[in-house]
Amino acid sequence: MNTVDFLNLLISAILLAGVYAAMSVGMTIIYGVMKIVNLAHAGFLMLGAYFVFELYERLHVDPLLGAVLAFPVFYFVGIAVYWSMVRRIPRSDQPTLPSLLLLFGLWLVLQNLGYMIWGNADRAILTPRTFSTLQVGQLIFPTVRLVVFGVAVASLVALDFVMHRTWRGRAVRALMQNSDAGRIVGVNVDKTARIAFGVGIAFAGTAGGLLAMMYSFTPDFGGSFLLRSFVIIVLGGLESFSGVAIGALILALVESFSILVIPSGYQPAVSFSLLVVALVVLPNGVAGLWNKRQRLT
Amino acid sequence: MSEAATDKGNLFPLLAKAAPLLLAVIAVAFIPAAHPSPNIIRLMFVTLVWVTTSVAWNLIGGFAGQVSFGFAVFYGLGAYTTAITYSTGVDRFDSILLGACAAMLASLLVGLPTFRLKGPYFAIATIGVSEAVRVIMTNLGFTGGASGYRIMERGPFNQLLHYYIALALAATAIALSMLVRYSKFGLALLAIREDEEAASDLGVNPFRTKLLAHALAAALTGAAGGVFVGYAAFIYPQGVFGFDISVAILLMPIIGGLGTVWGPPIGAAVYGFVHEELIASFPQFHLLLFGSLLILIILFEPAGVMGLAYKVVGLFRRRK
Repeated sequence: MNTVDFLNLLISAILLAGVYAAMSVGMTIIYGVMKIVNLAHAGFLMLGAYFVFELYERLHVDPLLGAVLAFPVFYFVGIAVYWSMVRRIPRSDQPTLPSLLLLFGLWLVLQNLGYMIWGNADRAILTPRTFSTLQVGQLIFPTVRLVVFGVAVASLVALDFVMHRTWRGRAVRALMQNSDAGRIVGVNVDKTARIAFGVGIAFAGTAGGLLAMMYSFTPDFGGSFLLRSFVIIVLGGLESFSGVAIGALILALVESFSILVIPSGYQPAVSFSLLVVALVVLPNGVAGLWNKRQRLT
Repeated sequence: MSEAATDKGNLFPLLAKAAPLLLAVIAVAFIPAAHPSPNIIRLMFVTLVWVTTSVAWNLIGGFAGQVSFGFAVFYGLGAYTTAITYSTGVDRFDSILLGACAAMLASLLVGLPTFRLKGPYFAIATIGVSEAVRVIMTNLGFTGGASGYRIMERGPFNQLLHYYIALALAATAIALSMLVRYSKFGLALLAIREDEEAASDLGVNPFRTKLLAHALAAALTGAAGGVFVGYAAFIYPQGVFGFDISVAILLMPIIGGLGTVWGPPIGAAVYGFVHEELIASFPQFHLLLFGSLLILIILFEPAGVMGLAYKVVGLFRRRK
């Protein structure tokens, strides 16, 4: 492999990492605030993809705009799910059996509603952008991936701003660190959890729309990305935003470069192996490593 | 000395607890004597296999509170191991035992890295492992890959033989579940479910206890897969490793009542018969119904059929 090929692969990995981070950050917010593993994440990724697809097919809305529009729509979907189901199960500072099973059930329902509505045919969003590339010297940048990367990174920057500069964002971070202490200083746990759940689902919807521009999809679309999101947030230490970025980069790099040695049929096994390695070597994620280093010095 | 004395003291209540099992086994064993149609026997056979997997899932999911979404891995590995070893000339009983062993080994793959850690890692890893194993089995050459594997049958097919093997396995599973529930080991599992840190402070080793329960559950599920393949004679990855198998295995004990001895078999019986009807009328959407059922049970009756039964009994007692 020569240098140009290597650099092209590296570029595609980094561009992929952007959308991976946007895809996983929603899970991190929900886990951090409520200690709930959002297994229905896969269902909302899939719905996001079909949302953008339908807008494009029926109303000719640009998929990029569609993905941005998905954010507020899925925010309210998330609020509705929280209000009707999630708030009814007992709260805990550990992931509980009811929460896992409830969201798993929701995933099954969403996925099979998808099959009911759209059937199992492969769909794809094809725009003039899909096959165009931007060439700089010998380096090739696929336009879609660049644009998707741009939106993903912009959404993450906006999230970072909200988390650090607004009262509500600080409340979310406070609950992530210590929910009892957060309650004592006057954070409304129920309201903050509701907003966090909404934002988490909103990110899933937008990320689903972004992924739909890059890949073809079926109602089973979210499953493999759910596993990838797990790997990313475990690598990132479950509740750290910078950890998500690093985890996404690691997974994207491993996936992109493992294609050279491992047949593409075995790709899900690659993410799983990375998950096991992460659990054995870095149980607290990359962020845990960082904290340990800081504590030692 | 004192321990032996308490053991003797517990003997009678234990017998009283085992009586329903004995009665159920005798009743089910005499069903073929009424000469029902082969289709009924087939349905009973499948239900008995489900009883085994359901009781197995409950050992780790119900007693210890560790949700697994990947029991199809054990079921499928058991089925494939049994099929391959039986075809190469191993005795039927031994091949099922080998299937159980293969599943037990696979349980360590998930258990060893995740049971040391607190948090949702086990549940997450079980979703990953079922995806990974299905992909590998679909691409693997010597098992026939995606197109499946056919057993070399020796001698004529005897439906009742398979029926009684399944019954024996299901009875063994329920008896094991009883032994676990009323032993120190079972109490350790319940303690872990309620509060892992407190259990650990009281001298329970959570890692070893969970690992053992998981291995036991995997072995039973693998044996169930082996029993099933003896009857089906043909398997393919999507059929035994499929996601819907994992979902079915976890749904049954939840329908019946998590963490009880009799909930999972009841759940399996309900599922076995209802599923047959559903598949016939809605072949596409049974997972949609499963999902809705899961949501409804968790929100409104987390204790399942057993919980409902206790509520009804309680209502009658209050009337008196």
